[in-house]
Amino acid sequence: MWNKVLLYLTAILLLLLGWWALALVLDSNALPTPPTTFEAFWVAIGGPLKVHLAASLTRVVVSIILAVLLAVPTGLVLGRVKWLDWLAGPLIFLTYPVPKIVFLPVFMAIFGLGNLSKVLLVGLIVFYQMLVTTWDAARAISPQLIYSVTSLGAREWDLYRHVLFPAVLPKIFTALRIGLGTAIAVLFIAENYATNRGLGFYLLETWSRGAYDEMYAGIIAMGLMGWGLYQVLGWLERKACPWMAD
Amino acid sequence: MSSSPSRRGSPPHHTGDPAVRVQDLSVIFSHGPGGPVEALKDVSFSLDEGQTCALIGPSGCGKTTLLYTLAGLIKPSSGRVMIKGEPVRPKRRDTALILQDYGLLPWKTVWKNVSLGLEIRRVPREEQQQKVEEVLGSLGLLAMRDRFPGQLSGGQRQRVAIARALTLDPDLLLMDEPFSSLDALTREELQESLVELWQVKRPTLVVVTHSIEEAVFLGQKIIIMSGGPGRVLYELDNPGVGSRGYRRTAEYHRLTTTIRDLLVENRLKSTSHRAQHHPWESIG
Ligand SMILES: Nc1ncnc2c1ncn2[C@@H]1O[C@H](COP(=O)(O)OP(=O)(O)OP(=O)(O)O)[C@@H](O)[C@H]1O
Ligand SMILES: [Mg+2]
Repeated sequence: MWNKVLLYLTAILLLLLGWWALALVLDSNALPTPPTTFEAFWVAIGGPLKVHLAASLTRVVVSIILAVLLAVPTGLVLGRVKWLDWLAGPLIFLTYPVPKIVFLPVFMAIFGLGNLSKVLLVGLIVFYQMLVTTWDAARAISPQLIYSVTSLGAREWDLYRHVLFPAVLPKIFTALRIGLGTAIAVLFIAENYATNRGLGFYLLETWSRGAYDEMYAGIIAMGLMGWGLYQVLGWLERKACPWMAD
Repeated sequence: MSSSPSRRGSPPHHTGDPAVRVQDLSVIFSHGPGGPVEALKDVSFSLDEGQTCALIGPSGCGKTTLLYTLAGLIKPSSGRVMIKGEPVRPKRRDTALILQDYGLLPWKTVWKNVSLGLEIRRVPREEQQQKVEEVLGSLGLLAMRDRFPGQLSGGQRQRVAIARALTLDPDLLLMDEPFSSLDALTREELQESLVELWQVKRPTLVVVTHSIEEAVFLGQKIIIMSGGPGRVLYELDNPGVGSRGYRRTAEYHRLTTTIRDLLVENRLKSTSHRAQHHPWESIG
């Protein structure tokens, strides 16, 4: 435990020192020193930055929740019901590799310029990742496990509840970790358009004004958001999958 | 025989039907890797209520398939399987199955694994609690109740699997190589607890095994199977099962020798038979 904390602190310290050194060497507006940046962050977070952070955070969280709620049940059923698997397989695997970000203009045309189109786009991307993971995991469940629980008298619903869902749960968390990174990146792009809220907008706006210290404050906010969400995921995973603990 | 109305001293509700009756059973897997696989062909035997039976035979001869069919999980391609006079059903309440790899759920604690059958049957909580506690206690597992299967030894896991089956008070207990991955002493110890349990509850017991000693120690009837397609070669009677110190008796040793000879003889027969028809098989 303490080892881990120490490791983290050393890593942060090294990162800061490297940054500081680089800032001094480059001596450019585009890379302010850590103290300048933290001061700017402190000021900004008390002002407009927190509104943007809240907007982005809400969008990410809502899209991920939507995606999970739709993808997990779908993936479980596809992994369990042979003929659906057979039908849906080609559909999903043909559309999976298409980068969904290209649909941003289409989404904005259909769902408007507001939150909805952004949430749906991010949600769609996370949905695919979650669906494919859940599906594969559900398919990989050993038939022996299904047999043994069936022989206890389980009905279809019992199998979903006692076997399929818990079996895919750890995989869902892994997929969520990966999906979270993608979601934040996509959201950043989506927020560059047709909005005046969100970290994407904030970064672009400060950059266009040449306010680099504020821009870095935005980057820190983004990093903190990601870090915070990872912590939440880690906590949820430990609660939900106690058998995975070593 | 006494004047009791039931035969063989079985319980009074005995209907006269055997506990298990398999008639001309064939099972064909139509989606085998290289076309259809005939896993069982014309298998027939029957077991009396409360009798124990050991199934032994070479790998791939269809023992697991036969057990799944008795549990109603695989449908016969032809022939019949009757349990207590009724056609086998997948969700027959009084059948319990214990699989080769224990079939425990890694995400459930010992307690939850053992209570699973009761929970699925919507048995009231209090009753569940009482039953699970009783069964765990009788198998010396109470201290492990909050552990996950991954935190148990092989022998403990096997005991949990047995406990889960026992909570359902089965009258037909089916076990697939239950002790195969255990060391010799643990194995004998668990075989002995199984016999003790059987002597108390008297379920009809079918145990699949690769071990000749296990077959003789556990099976009042020993069914020797041969593969490709799976069929019954011999049925041997072994009335000494459950008697004190059976492992050290001459009868026990005589039977193990007999079975070993039968298996070896059959293996020689089947390999020479194969070589005649497919000489390239032994080269490739
Ligand atoms: N689902 C399946 N699809 C196709 N073939 C199968 C299937 N299950 C089993 N078989 C085949 O049926 C035959 C009997 O298999 P089974 O598992 O019953 O053998 P076994 O006697 O239990 O073997 P072992 O002692 O190795 O456990 C084998 O040839 C096997 O390959
Ligand atoms: Mg087998």
